[in-house]
Amino acid sequence: MTNKFDDKNKTLGDTLRSRGISRRSFLKFCAATASMMALPPAMIPKVAHALENAKRPSVIWLSFQECTGCTESLTRSHSATIENLIFDSISLDYHHTLQAASGHAAEAAREAAMEENHGNYILVVDGSIPMDNPGYSTIAGISNYDMLMDTAKGAAAIIAVGTCATYGGIPHAKPNPTGAVSVGDLIKDKPIINVPGCPPIPVVITGVVTHFLTFGTIPELDHIGRPKVFYGQSIHDRCYRRPFYDKGLFAETFDDEGAQKGWCLFKLGCKGPTTYNACATTKWNNGTSFPIEAGHPCIGCSEPDFWDGGGFYKALSMPTENITQTALYTAAGAAAVGVAAGALNRAKKNAATKAHPNTTIEDLEK
Amino acid sequence: MSASLEKGINALKEQVDSSVAAFFSSCVHCGMCADACLFYTETGGPERTPINKTEPLRRIWKSEYTLFGRIGKLFGLTKPVTDELLADWETLVYDSCTLCGRCSMVCPVGNDIAAMIRKTREGMAAAGHAPDGLIGATKRAVTIGSPMGVKFPALQAQIKHVENDTGMTIPVDVVGADYMLLLSSMEIMNFPEFIEAVAKIFDKAGVTWTISSEAFEATNSGIQIGVSDIAAELVQRIVDAAEKLKVKTVISPECGHAYMAIRWDGPNLVGKPFDFKVRHILEVLDEFRKDGRLKTTGKESQRLTYHDPCQISRRGGVIDEPRNLLNMIADDFVEMPDAGKMNWCCGAGGGVSSNERANEIRLKVFQRKKDQLDEIKPDAIVSACSNCRIHLEDGLEEYHMEIPLLSLTETLAEHLAD
Repeated sequence: MTNKFDDKNKTLGDTLRSRGISRRSFLKFCAATASMMALPPAMIPKVAHALENAKRPSVIWLSFQECTGCTESLTRSHSATIENLIFDSISLDYHHTLQAASGHAAEAAREAAMEENHGNYILVVDGSIPMDNPGYSTIAGISNYDMLMDTAKGAAAIIAVGTCATYGGIPHAKPNPTGAVSVGDLIKDKPIINVPGCPPIPVVITGVVTHFLTFGTIPELDHIGRPKVFYGQSIHDRCYRRPFYDKGLFAETFDDEGAQKGWCLFKLGCKGPTTYNACATTKWNNGTSFPIEAGHPCIGCSEPDFWDGGGFYKALSMPTENITQTALYTAAGAAAVGVAAGALNRAKKNAATKAHPNTTIEDLEK
Repeated sequence: MSASLEKGINALKEQVDSSVAAFFSSCVHCGMCADACLFYTETGGPERTPINKTEPLRRIWKSEYTLFGRIGKLFGLTKPVTDELLADWETLVYDSCTLCGRCSMVCPVGNDIAAMIRKTREGMAAAGHAPDGLIGATKRAVTIGSPMGVKFPALQAQIKHVENDTGMTIPVDVVGADYMLLLSSMEIMNFPEFIEAVAKIFDKAGVTWTISSEAFEATNSGIQIGVSDIAAELVQRIVDAAEKLKVKTVISPECGHAYMAIRWDGPNLVGKPFDFKVRHILEVLDEFRKDGRLKTTGKESQRLTYHDPCQISRRGGVIDEPRNLLNMIADDFVEMPDAGKMNWCCGAGGGVSSNERANEIRLKVFQRKKDQLDEIKPDAIVSACSNCRIHLEDGLEEYHMEIPLLSLTETLAEHLAD
């Protein structure tokens, strides 16, 4: 057995080797991660190098108003794969569900980790924070708010996991009895990466951690703090049922011919068009499938206020006005602008052709 | 002595057509072209990403032909094309690109990036930012008739040698011949055996052919430097000679860019279809094979591989022909990785070899070809482009490898059945 100190100084490469993970499968993981993060193939060796030599960074995981589904997702769905080992191989110093210690010993572990790694640890948060009455959710007599603010001070970066931590989630749904807010509502002075979803896809969080270990920076985020590489495209744009949408073939009920033939679930309330997540590409349960593949519309769980969207089975609102006429006018207007712009461009190109002097060998030098 | 930025900008404006506009607006900045380009993979320099080489053309498209670009221009937000930009881009557009077109093959949105770089050269050349070596070659091509300064008497001397060695007559200016053979100056000066090989094979095949004393040069410096006016003039010389001699087919020799220039760019440059056919020598030889006019005897026992010249295989589509022909004479033929349309370029075509400044980089990027060769360890490399051949020999020497280079036509001639 190694003592705690040695264990901390082991690199990820050492840990993986001691667990019998071959270099080949490690590199395969690096290649998959690089492609997932849309990095050019030339970056694979850099990812591998950074990961191999990464000292296991300290991670403190705080769970507030949540259901532990996010932890379940991360620890279980890809069990016994290398992603999991990578995740094991960070120094997870505090996590309600996973740590052996309890009571005072548990809190002491958190405080020790914060002190030892001040300014360098990664803080992961799942669950929302109640701002109404702190009594709704306290840990070791400390309110969620106080614990978050205290732990966030020394963090290098914060990863908010799950829709509760990122946008308030189900606790925040109307009428929001606990006054639940997200991590981003409270902390403004630290980089926060939002990894929403109810729960989020496991490889997305390992991808974010890998990115942080490789580049020491947070990945590029969208306007609501989500890494663009995973949340850059809508479920709808990447959905394998999209061709049916384009053809206007929709399932009207869950047991009609269209449903059996696998047509688009838009009319059954699919939120795919307004939901940005990687489900349709990375899929779930080790790449097996995603909800739409199982015949259920997307409920939009990675979007803010998904619970208050007016019903999971209600089609995304149809416009109430007569859109045909408006569309016609718009199309005619756009066409006219297009023709005018085209004519302008052609005129410019023709002018350039006209201005072209016959180039001879006398004209090759200044 | 009248090149100017103004002329360069005008030339770029002229080059923006609907395909260029569509290409630029559909580029998704994925960077896949980088990994397809040996000038990037062997140097790791992100500035050599193929699409980046078109930056001057992109700026003109953006500032002149897009709404946001034009609005941006009013407020000084759209980046202009300046002399400094063109000076900076000279080594990217000319030294670090052979127009091999591997980037165009991998582009997920179908942009013909190589053609865009070719168009960018129009602006560079008009603005006086073409490399000195290429300017010299172009001047010689126009005034003397060949980029290497080879005049007809030099060719005549080589023809005399061949005639003395073989006892055959090499036909010159024969009206009504079936085929008119073009040559690259590289062949005339370094590989006159090619003329001999063609003479033997055509004699056995029983077809008539000729060389024109007025237009024997196949290569087109106008295309490589990026001046369509000059390129058209050089093509017109061949058209005039072919029409004067009333030949049915003009043969492009073992030279990659020459084939692209005369067969695919040619009619567009002179603005009308040719009255004759244009074929690559390998296409002609493969037709002979199919018709039973080309018969060989004996096989090469050494391990042979084929280097695909970019303009012949990838841009020209002549991929099966060399393999059919090699099949006749090779016992141990082995394909290198990425053979065929995705084969790696030699690194010296498209004007790079006429540009001394590019010597260092072209030898550096040869590493890619070396890696391919290391994998299959051939005894000899067969190819069908004298420029590839010269540069591959150069590269092999630089990397201390001893693999001889063979011309496919010449090797076939050696195995010609009596």
